Amino acid sequence: MARVVILERVATPDTGSASAITVKNLSKMFSAPAGGARFTVLESISLFVHEGEFVSIVGPSGCGKSTLLNIIAGIESYEGGSVAIAPRAAKAGSKSGSKAGSEPGSEPRVGYVFQSPRLLNWLTVEDNINFVLEAQNIPRSRWKELVTRNLEMVGLGGQQRNYPLNLSGGMQQRVAIARALAIEPDILLMDEPFSHLDAITARKMRFDLSDILTQAKPTILYVTHDLAEAVFLSDRIYMMDTKPARIFKEVRVGVSRPRAPEDSKILDLEKILVREFFGALETKT
Amino acid sequence: MASRGLRNAGLRAGSILLLLLLWWAASVLMNDPDVLPGPIVIGRTIAGDLASVGPEGHSAYFHVGITLARIFVAFAAAMLAGTGIGLAMGLSVAFERALMALIPLLLTMPTILMVFLAVMWFGFSETGGLVAVMAVVTPYVAVNIFEGAKATDRSLVEMGMTFKANRSLLLRKVYVPQLMPYIFSAVRYAFAMTWKIVALAETFGLKYGIGYMFFFWFGQFNMTQMLAWIVLFIVLMLVIEHGIFAPLERRAFAWRVSPVS
Repeated sequence: MARVVILERVATPDTGSASAITVKNLSKMFSAPAGGARFTVLESISLFVHEGEFVSIVGPSGCGKSTLLNIIAGIESYEGGSVAIAPRAAKAGSKSGSKAGSEPGSEPRVGYVFQSPRLLNWLTVEDNINFVLEAQNIPRSRWKELVTRNLEMVGLGGQQRNYPLNLSGGMQQRVAIARALAIEPDILLMDEPFSHLDAITARKMRFDLSDILTQAKPTILYVTHDLAEAVFLSDRIYMMDTKPARIFKEVRVGVSRPRAPEDSKILDLEKILVREFFGALETKT
Repeated sequence: MASRGLRNAGLRAGSILLLLLLWWAASVLMNDPDVLPGPIVIGRTIAGDLASVGPEGHSAYFHVGITLARIFVAFAAAMLAGTGIGLAMGLSVAFERALMALIPLLLTMPTILMVFLAVMWFGFSETGGLVAVMAVVTPYVAVNIFEGAKATDRSLVEMGMTFKANRSLLLRKVYVPQLMPYIFSAVRYAFAMTWKIVALAETFGLKYGIGYMFFFWFGQFNMTQMLAWIVLFIVLMLVIEHGIFAPLERRAFAWRVSPVS
C-alpha cells in the first residue's frame, strides 16, 4: 500500500530541467467486487511532467486514467513502482507576494478538476472556493482576493454570491476550474474536465483554458479520451492502452502558442496520432 | 415569489376559517353546549383558564410549561439517540446488520401499547413517559439518518480529500449539509410523534400537564373544558411547527431555490 512521496528535486534524463511529477513502473491492482480475482488496472506506468509543462494522457474510457490521477493526488494507494512529486518551488519570477503563506520546499499544492464539477451545492460560489482555501490552510486574509481574481479569470466575475444550481453546466465547471486555480497549485490534475459539456461549450472552454494558463502557470497533467483536445492543449502526450493500461507512445507537440485548433500542424499531428492510436487498440483485439 | 407566498398564506388562513365556521354552524344547529360548544365559547374558556388559577391550585401556564418541558426533553433525547445510532449504522456494516433486524420490531410496536408497557415498567413517572417516547421515536430517527448517511455523495468526499480537507472541515461542509434533509424530516416526524405520546402518557397517568388536565375535565364530564385544552394544545404545537421548525428549514435549504443576487 504505497503512497505518494515528496522527493528532493530531481532532474529528468532528457532535458535536465526539474520534474514536478515522476512516476516509475507504477502498477495498481483492483479486486473484483465479488471478492474474486484481482486484476491489473495499471501496469508498469512510467511518466514524468516537467515544471510548468502541460502533459496529456490519452486513452480509451475505463482504461485507468482516473485511477492514475487519483494515485498522484494521493487519495488512492498502489502496489508497485513509485510516484513522486517535487516540493514547492521558489517562484522567482512570480507576481510579488502572490504565493504568500507557502514556503518553498514545502508540500506542493495539488489542484484537481474532475469530470463533473463536484461543487458543494449548498454553498455559494465564493464559499465553494473558500472551502478549498480553508482545506489548504491559506490565510483567511487572502481569500477574498483569490476568489475574485480566479473567478474573473474563468469569466465569472461577480458570481460570488450565486449558488451552483443557478449556473449552467459549463459555468459550474468554470467554478471548478477557478476553485482548483485558487489554491495557486504547483500541480493541476484535470480529469476529462470538458467531456460532460456540449461540443460548443467544450470548445470555448478549451480556448479559455489555454488562455488562462498563460496567466497561471502550474504544471498540468490532463487526462482525456479526445486526441484533438490533447493535441491542441498539450506540450507532450502519452498515449495509453487498455486492459491493463500501459503507455505505448509518447509524443511531443512542437507547435508554438497561442494555437488555433484548425492550425494545419495541429490537424496533421492529430491525423497521425488517430491512426496510430486506433491501430494500437485494434491489434490488441 | 412574494405573491405566491401570500396566496399560500391566504389559502391556509381560509381553510382554517372555514373549519371554524363549520364548527360554529354545527354547534348552533346542535344547540347543546354540553355536547358541542362553539368556537367562541371555547375561545373564551381558554382565555379564562389562562387568566385564572385552575383546579388543584395550578395555573394553565404551569401545565403548559410542564408539557412543553416533557416534549422538549423526550424529543431531544430521541433525536440524539436516533442520530447517533443512525450514523453508527452508516459507518459500520456490522452495526447496520445487527440493528436492521431489531428496528422493524420496534417500528411495528403500536404506540399506545408501548405507553402501557412503559407505565407498567416504570410507573406513572417522568421516566415512563421518556422511555415510551424513546422506544417509539428513536428507531424512526435512526432509520432516517441512516438513509441519509447511505446517500452521502462519495464523489464530494473524494473532492474534499484531494484538496486535503481535514475531518472537521469535511464534516461541517460536506457530510452534515447532505444529511440536512434527512435530519429535518426526522425532526418533524419525531416532534409530532413526541407530543402525541406525551399527551397520551399525561392522559393515562402522569401528574400535571395538558393531557392531565384533559383527563381531569373528562372525569368532570366537562366537554367545554376538554375541548378548550385540546384546542390550546393544537395551537401550541402549530405555533412551534410553523414558528420554529418551518423557518429553520427554509433557511437551511435556501440554496435550492435561491434568487440570483
